[in-house]
Amino acid sequence: MTPDNHADHSTSDLLAYWLGELDEASADSVEEHLFRCDACGARLRELILLGGAVREGLLKGEFGTVVTPSFTRRLSAAGVRIREYHLEPGGSVNCTVAPEDDLVISHLRAEVGDVRQIDLVVDDGDGGSTHRSRHIAFNAGTGEVTFIPPVALLRTLGKDRQRMRLMAVDKSSERLLGEYTFNHSSYDPRG
Amino acid sequence: MDLGLSIETRGFYAPRVQEIPPDIDAELARRIAAGDPEAEAPFCRRFAPRIRLFGLKRLRNDAAAADLVQDVLIVALQKLRAGAVREPERIASFMLGMARQMMLDSKRNSGRRERILNEFPIDLIPVEEPAAEEPDEARLQHCLQALPERERSVLVMTFYDDCPADALGTQLGLSTGNVRVIRHRGLQHLRDCLENAEVRDDS
Repeated sequence: MTPDNHADHSTSDLLAYWLGELDEASADSVEEHLFRCDACGARLRELILLGGAVREGLLKGEFGTVVTPSFTRRLSAAGVRIREYHLEPGGSVNCTVAPEDDLVISHLRAEVGDVRQIDLVVDDGDGGSTHRSRHIAFNAGTGEVTFIPPVALLRTLGKDRQRMRLMAVDKSSERLLGEYTFNHSSYDPRG
Repeated sequence: MDLGLSIETRGFYAPRVQEIPPDIDAELARRIAAGDPEAEAPFCRRFAPRIRLFGLKRLRNDAAAADLVQDVLIVALQKLRAGAVREPERIASFMLGMARQMMLDSKRNSGRRERILNEFPIDLIPVEEPAAEEPDEARLQHCLQALPERERSVLVMTFYDDCPADALGTQLGLSTGNVRVIRHRGLQHLRDCLENAEVRDDS
């Protein structure tokens, strides 16, 4: 990987240029530089490749992540085939992933209006391992946490139960916002 | 190399002098202008990746960026051969200016490319991109999973469709600055993880 130690433009500068965040003068300056500096060009190419690989990994379901409802709408508008589950606190759902699904998205409804930090706790299977993701991304205005599980892993599961808990966390305490149960089974075309 | 410094100025307080590499771009431009056809291929090899990056940024399309590379190089070689480039030492600026102009022109007139190719048949050598390192799929998966959740979310939503920080901030209820900080940290963690994995693989 090309070192991020160039005197003129950092990797963050190059990413900001690529994403169109810079004002016209700054963007022109980066562009001028890129026509002289092949080291910065190589780093920008690496960033573009990295972005492509992240995009590809997401669509292959290689990793799970928390997103936003508007992001799922952008995925859908781009033609990504999505199976969605909407759960209220305390709710449960029988779920699966079909061969034609690109992604599965879980919408976990919760009262998140005044919350500063949310942790997502996932209990795998009955008596299985517990994983806690701290300080997940959410927008208080949406009233939900939107989670994309790793579809590649879901496809390997047979009958399985997974519990998710959203915890509101502050400096000294935490409280349960909601618990959600997913009863997974492998895809059955007969429904 | 003799840097032209007197002995007295080579001590602790001497100004830092960096070895400046010869301006290969300008030298190649001068050689093409002087009628040396051997200089054309290396000239194209140096500028093609730069024009392509510019094209990708502006056009967001591989094929269109590749077309832009060909168009700019064709006209640049033609101008250099004709001695129409007055300041070869500023060839990089000249090439950028031409790339900007041709991109605007191509939007106005999509038939321009065919016309140029018909009028100035130049046998361009296919240009290979410098080998950029594509991250290993399994390694990237591991490193993404190792990221703090919020950093992963911001990186994924940034990279999925090149979402700028202000738009992502609106979606997440965060300030633009806050998104940039999370993104910067995430990118740093991801690069560190990928680099460490490379070191482990090499050892």
